[in-house]
Parts: sequence; C-alpha cells; structure tokens
Amino acid sequence: MSWLRRLLSGSRMDQELDAELRFHFEQQVAEKARLGISEDEARRSARLEFGGLEQVKEDCRESRGTMWVAFVVQDLRFAARQLRKAPGFAVIAVAALSVGIGAAAAIFSVMDAVLLRPLPFAHQERIVVPVMTSRARFAQSYSYLSYRDVRAQLQTFDVLAGYAGGVDNINLEGPGGPASLRVIKGTDNFFTVFGVKPILGRTYEPGEDQPGRDNIAVLSYETWKINFAGLTDVVGKVVRLGGTPYTVIGVMPAGFRFPLSAHNVIYTPLHPSESWRKSRGAHWLRTVGLLKEGVSRNGALADLNRVLAEIGRAYPDTDGGLTGSLIPLAVQVNSLDSGGKASGPLGTLALACLALLGIACVNVAGLLLARGVKREREMALRAAVGANRRRLVLQMLNESMVLCIFGLVGGMLVSWLLLKAMNIFLIKALARGADIHLNMTVVAVALGLSMLTSVLASLAPAVRLSGTDPNRALRAGGGGAGSGRGQHRLRSIFVVTQVALSLVLLVVSGLLLRNLRDLLKTDLGFNPSTILATEIDLSPGRYEGRDPVAAFYHPLLERVSHLPGVAGAGVIDNLPVQSWGSNENVHIAGQAPYPPNQEMLSEIRFVSTGYFDAMGIQLVRGRMLSPELDRVDINPAGTAIVNEAFRRKFFANGGNPVGAHLDDDPKAKLKMGIVGVVTDVRQDLQQPPMAEMDWLIDALPPNLRMDYLGNMMLVVHSSGNLPALVPSLRNAFHEVDPTVPFKTPEPMTQVVDEQLIFERMESWLFGIFASFALLLAMIGLYGLVNHEVELRTREIGICMALGSTRALAMRQVLRRVALLIATGTGLGWLLTLALKKVLSSVVEMNADHDLALFVCLTAGLAAMGILASIIPARRAASIEPMQVLRTE
Amino acid sequence: MKTSPKSDLSQGTLDPLVLRIVALGPIHGYAIAQRIQQMSREALQVQQGSLYPALHRLEYKKFLVAEWAESETGRDAKFYRLTPKGLAQLKRETESWARLTEAVGLILQNPQGEIS
Repeated sequence: MSWLRRLLSGSRMDQELDAELRFHFEQQVAEKARLGISEDEARRSARLEFGGLEQVKEDCRESRGTMWVAFVVQDLRFAARQLRKAPGFAVIAVAALSVGIGAAAAIFSVMDAVLLRPLPFAHQERIVVPVMTSRARFAQSYSYLSYRDVRAQLQTFDVLAGYAGGVDNINLEGPGGPASLRVIKGTDNFFTVFGVKPILGRTYEPGEDQPGRDNIAVLSYETWKINFAGLTDVVGKVVRLGGTPYTVIGVMPAGFRFPLSAHNVIYTPLHPSESWRKSRGAHWLRTVGLLKEGVSRNGALADLNRVLAEIGRAYPDTDGGLTGSLIPLAVQVNSLDSGGKASGPLGTLALACLALLGIACVNVAGLLLARGVKREREMALRAAVGANRRRLVLQMLNESMVLCIFGLVGGMLVSWLLLKAMNIFLIKALARGADIHLNMTVVAVALGLSMLTSVLASLAPAVRLSGTDPNRALRAGGGGAGSGRGQHRLRSIFVVTQVALSLVLLVVSGLLLRNLRDLLKTDLGFNPSTILATEIDLSPGRYEGRDPVAAFYHPLLERVSHLPGVAGAGVIDNLPVQSWGSNENVHIAGQAPYPPNQEMLSEIRFVSTGYFDAMGIQLVRGRMLSPELDRVDINPAGTAIVNEAFRRKFFANGGNPVGAHLDDDPKAKLKMGIVGVVTDVRQDLQQPPMAEMDWLIDALPPNLRMDYLGNMMLVVHSSGNLPALVPSLRNAFHEVDPTVPFKTPEPMTQVVDEQLIFERMESWLFGIFASFALLLAMIGLYGLVNHEVELRTREIGICMALGSTRALAMRQVLRRVALLIATGTGLGWLLTLALKKVLSSVVEMNADHDLALFVCLTAGLAAMGILASIIPARRAASIEPMQVLRTE
Repeated sequence: MKTSPKSDLSQGTLDPLVLRIVALGPIHGYAIAQRIQQMSREALQVQQGSLYPALHRLEYKKFLVAEWAESETGRDAKFYRLTPKGLAQLKRETESWARLTEAVGLILQNPQGEIS
C-alpha cells in the first residue's frame, strides 16, 4: 500500500486502529473481572495501565511513516482555511503573484523563442551573413558576377550561397488552385549551407542553377501541406510558377525556414535575367555562408576583405571601396527587417517583467510580514497549548505554499492570455514569431522566485515567533508595538522599492504612449481613410517579352478609374508607409561635389500618372509627368518629379529644382531633368519625409519594364465606402487578366495600423505593466499605512489624550507617507536615469521635451499614493483616546 | 504507581520477541502481550504504548500481515501473521541475539575479569 493510499484511506485506518486498541482494552477489563475485581474498578485500572489512548494511536500512526504527509495535508487545509478568513489578503497576494509570474513567464517565453533558442540548422555557429559596405557606409548587395568571384576566391568558407527574394510573390498554379507564394531564389549550393535534409526528394545539385537545368523547385513544409495537400508523390510533379513549368524535386522539413520570416515559400534556383547576370552594377544578391570548421570569424573576415579588395582593384568602378563584415546568422535573423528593432525592446520588456515580478514578490513579502506581526498572539497561543516550533514554522510555510499554488494557476492563466495577445501582435513583427509558446522552465523559475520570496517573508516572523516565550508574547498583547518595528522598517523599504519601480515603468509607458500618439497624429501627406491599396503580382512567365504597362497596367487603370465611386487610381512600386529604401545616390548637375561621407540619397519610385491624384499629392511648382511629354523616344534623358523633401535636401540654398538635371550621365543631353515639385508623403512613419524622385512607368524602356514593374501596388481614391469598391475592383482585375491573383485591398488606414503593430504592442504591454505596478504599489502603501496606524493606535490615543488634535494625528501619518513616496520617486528617478541607456532601445528620453510629462507622472504617482493612504490616515485621526486607554 | 519489578523492553528487544511469538501462528495484540508475559515467566511485561506501535511498525516493514478475524471470545480482533520476509528477519535477529549474549556472557563470566 503506498503512503498516498494509506493517507487517503486514513479515516478507515483510524477506525481499525481504534477497534484494535479497544479490543485489547476490553480483554484487559475482562481479565481483571475474571480475577474478581468489580467492573468499574477493572475499567479504571485498565485505563490507567493503558496510558494515553490517543498517544498510543499517534505513536502507531507515526511508526507507519505517514505522519509528515498527514501534517502537510492538515496544514494545507488549515492554511487554505486561514486564507479564506482573510480574503482581502489572499486575493491581493494571489493576484500579485499571478501577474508577476504570468508576465514574466510570457515575456521570457517570447525572448527564449526569439533570442535564445537555437536555429533549426546544423552548424548554426558556423553560418554567417557576409555583408558588403560601400564607401558611403551603406550595406550593399552583391552583383551576380561579384558573387561568383567572391565565391571562387574565398578560402575560409565551406559554402557561400547567394539568394534573392523573400519580398516578391510568385503565382503558383498547383493542384490546390492558383496561389501567390513567396519565392526564395538561391544558388545551387543554397541548401548546403544549412545542412538540413529534405523529407522528400532532394535539394539542388551542383550546376542546377544554370539555365536549362534550373526549372526545379523545392517546397517548404507549409507550402507542401497547404498548397499540395501533403501529397507524398509530389516529387516529380510539374507545376507552373509565374507561368513557367517547374518540376518539384523536394520538400523541406517543418521548421526549416530561410530567411526565417518566410513560411509559405517555394525555393527555386536563381533565374537571373540576362542583364542581371552580366552586369556588375546590378546589386541584387544577398549571401549566406558556412565557415570552414575551426575558422575564426576574424580569420574569415580578413579573408573576405582580402577578396573584396582584389575584386575592387580589378573593377574599381563597380566594386571599388567595399569593406566586408560578417554577421552571425543568429544575430541577423533575430533582428527585425528594420535594423534589429526587436531585441532591444524585448530586452527592456524583460527588465520590465523582472521589475513587475520584483514588485509582486516584494508586495507579497510585505503582506506576509504584516500578517506575521498581526498573528503574533495567535502563534503564541498555539505555542502555549503545545504546538512545537517546527510545526509552527511549517504551518507558516504552508500558507505561503498555498498562496504560491494559487499564484501559479493565476500566473499560467495570465501568461496564456499575454502570449495569445502577443502571438497576434508579434507574428508579423518578428522573424520567428510563430515559434512562441509557453516555456515551462520559465514558469518554474518565476514560481521558484516568488516561492522563495514568500517563504522567506513568512519564515522571518515564524522563526522569531516560535522562538519567543509564549508567556511574554501573550502578555505583550496583540500586535505589540515594539515587536513590529524591525519588520516595519523592512516593509517601508519594500514600499519605497515598489514606488521606485512603478515610477520607472510609468515613465517608460508614458513616453511610449506619447510616441504612439505622435505617430498616429503624423501628417502622412495623404488622407488614409479615402485610399484603398492592393498588391499586383504579374507572372513573369506570362509577361515574358511583353510590355506589362500596355498589356496590363494601362487597361487596368483605365477600367478602375472609370468605376463608379472611384475618384482616382494609380500604381506605384513601393507603397508609402509600407515600404521604402529603394534609393540611389544623387548629384545635381552643376552643384559642387558633396562631401564624401555625406549621405545624399534619394528614394526612387515608378508611378503611373494617376498615382498623384489618387494619393492627393499636390503639384507645388513646375508640371506633372505626362506620358505624352515624357516618352523615351521624345526625351531620351528621362524626366522626374521630385518632392519637397528633395528640394530641401538638394537645393538647401534656394535654387529651383525645376529645370535642374541629375548628374547621371556624362553627356549633358542625357542628364535626367526635373520637371516638377510635389508635396511630401511619408515613406516611413518613423522618419520625416525622405527625398524622393518619381519616374513614370511609361518612361521605362519596354524591355526593362518586366524587371522593374512585375510587382506593383494599386492605389484607389474614393470618398465613398471603400469596402464597397472591392467587388468591382475584382471584376476589373479579372477582365484584364484572370490569371493575376486578386488580393483583397486594404484601406490605407489599415496599412498604417500594421506598421504600428510593434509600437502598439510595446505601449500596450508597458501600459499594462505600469498600471499593475502602480496598483500593487498602492496596495503596498495602503497596507503599510494601515498596519502602522494599527500598531500605533495606543500611541496616537495617548497623544490625543495629552492634547493632540485629529488634524495633527492625520498630518503625522501623512507626513510619513509623503516621506516614503518622496524617497520612492527620488529613487525611481535615479533608477530611470541609470537605465537611460537600456531604456533608449524602447524610448528616447528628452529632458526638456518631456519634462511636463515627467512632472505629471510623478505628481500622479504621488497623488495615487496619498489617496491610498487617506483611508487609514483618517482612521488614525478618528481614534478615540478614551476607548484606547480603556482597552489597555 | 507502577511498582512491579518487571522490566520494560526496549524497541530493539521487543521486535524479535513479537516476531517469535507471531511465528507460532496468527495471533492478536492482546494475546501477544499475554504470551510474552507467560513465556518469560512473568518477567517481562509489554506496555500497550510499546506493543502497538511495534506491531504497526513491523506491519509497515512487511514483516507481518494482519487480517480481522473472530477471536476466541467471539469478538473481531486483528490477527497478525508472519510473512516470509518476517521469518528471515526473525532468523537474523535470533542469530545476532545469540552472538550478542555469547559475547556478553564471555565477558561477564570470565573468571580473570573478577571485579575487585
């Protein structure tokens, strides 16, 4: 019989024990009766011989080794009962623990998934991303030819693969109907870098990226499952990708993803166009490599730089002045597209979680301490009636145990909710967002931490109490004033800590919310609520050798702009707010050379004539672009329209952009001319408008159009109901080309919202944390003051009897509160300043700009603190001196 | 109160005695106490406070098993029976007791060691 069963059948066991002993007793009585002793006398003497019946029973139970379990169960039950008697205390403690554990578990789970967990590749530590930096310190992609050179000359790499894609979609006509998939195009050695074997078929063989052999495709696991229904005989099937037949040669296992943000992807060899294959000026390849075993990163970097220098010497015009750097893959994938945005805030978020967990622990510890002081008398009484010291301590511990168990349950709930929310917010924002789930180790650690605190906090009074002479403790009376002083100081420190930490959280979340509000109020340069946008992906196979402008864009725009309710329509290659970074170094003809390290970039966009109207962009000076005037055959140099930001950047000293020329060709006749200036539109929400030049899609030579215009964004302006336009837009697409997938257009307001997901989540989380922290700090403060008033009732009563007034008593209490808050906020500010550097990954603090906000937050915190202590302070003021003295 | 010269038994001594008596056949606690008294010719008396914890301890160690059965007086009593494990334990304890008494005897009865 296991002890557990024995324990559960405990009551039956006790009955048996009782019967057994009773039998013995009766036999003894009978024996004595037989010897002629009267029944009463026999019973009496038998009972005397027997000794304490209960003692015997207890000894029997103990000899079975179930005693400690019985104690624990008894104590747990007792603890639960005790807690039920103090529901306020229990609820607050459990809530504090839940929030602390839950938040910490959730955030650290995310951190673990995003930053710490190893990538699903073999030899992860040897995989690096070689990045080239141009003289002007911009990261530069490789041209196909320079990639071939680097690959051939590097000595420290096992493999150097080139890849492109991950941004554009390709149309798949597979067994599951047409679908738009992300395509990752790689060199023949692409898969060799990662050392992951396909679950079906094979990956590329050497030379399979060459024309004629390269119409093959490898499916990602998700694509295989979704678009091919997980068919096991998929290898060898021929599918059409962008209108061209490809043979499926393999399927990668679940978890293999590169780049890591790519889920539903299809991998194909590079397929560079003829011009891209032969040009050293077209930088379009990114690389990822596997270092040779035992090669240090510095060694590999030296090797890379040596090769780059050699290529630079051979082709100074196109490849000169490049320096290399090696980024470990783990670092590269874990950062967001826009420059490592995630790891900083996550780190800060983790700190915020720790702060919250700390506040929760400190709060519970404070509550337990206060409770310990209050229960001094109870403990003394128990000691007096014979409870031993071990039992008393154990019982206090059990109480914190019960709290922690409930806290754990609550914490799991909280973290589950938080993770759910974060999954929604984060999947798009983080490369590995989809891998996040609750990490049990983290839960255990958080629980352990909170258990440790509460155990320590409950142990302190328990140990002290169990050591005291019950007699004295009983005589000292409930909550003897002297006994609580030491702990009181400790609790004051706790409260100050809580106030300080809450202030830090408040400041961060306040700044974040302000930033978010500023971003939402940003002048975009257009009215997002009147514009619909959707993606257009043309199949390269279908438009091979055709002019997409004449064959698709013009007919589509013609149709769309005549739809009822549509006030304007146009296309652009990079939708404002959504994407940016397609740029070029610009020099205005006739201006002095710019300093070498000054960034003189201008964004470049291809647009249709209707685009400006659709977005509501106004002409400031000069003229708009027009297909009639700006045709290649009429004006071989080309024409562009620039925005105001361009004018401010390149014509800072006044001067008129209209009529100026770009220094993009040695021949004066072929220098591109600027014909007009238009109002700014935000390309990126986080930055002021960037300089931008717009070229007309019609001005592009027809043979180049498919290279540049395969993926465009359609923008439609309407002052009516935007969703109502969707069906007619779908018709328009279908009428022009039924093979082009139609993606449901989004209002620009939604595009803006999506850009702010990360900011929104950040301020949302910090806001929640800060309000929890504030709430807990208030509870802590309330508890402390309340307790203090209780402890000092006698003192205050005597003071009053001696002539002190109510106002004086209240002022005395509030003065202490003010001192605590002042210390807390002071410490909070010191902490904030000390953490300024860490916090700057989330928010920049700007003393003069944000001073008003800071003052408001501090004052708010102080006001909340005073508010929390008003009730107990009033109680202090309402103490009746006579009553106090009488109860003495 | 207790004036009898009968000696009390320590735990280490009580266990083998109980095992020995139970080895004679199923028996309940009261009878065990009686038997010990009889067999020791009234020299040993076991207190209930020692006997029952010992019985439960031995049962817990699986040296004894117990079942409820009707006693000679017609009332139900808890009868203990020796298990094979208990028998082995009894043998071990008997041997070690024999060794101990022999050794103690050698010392106490050694003529050269007369107490002066």
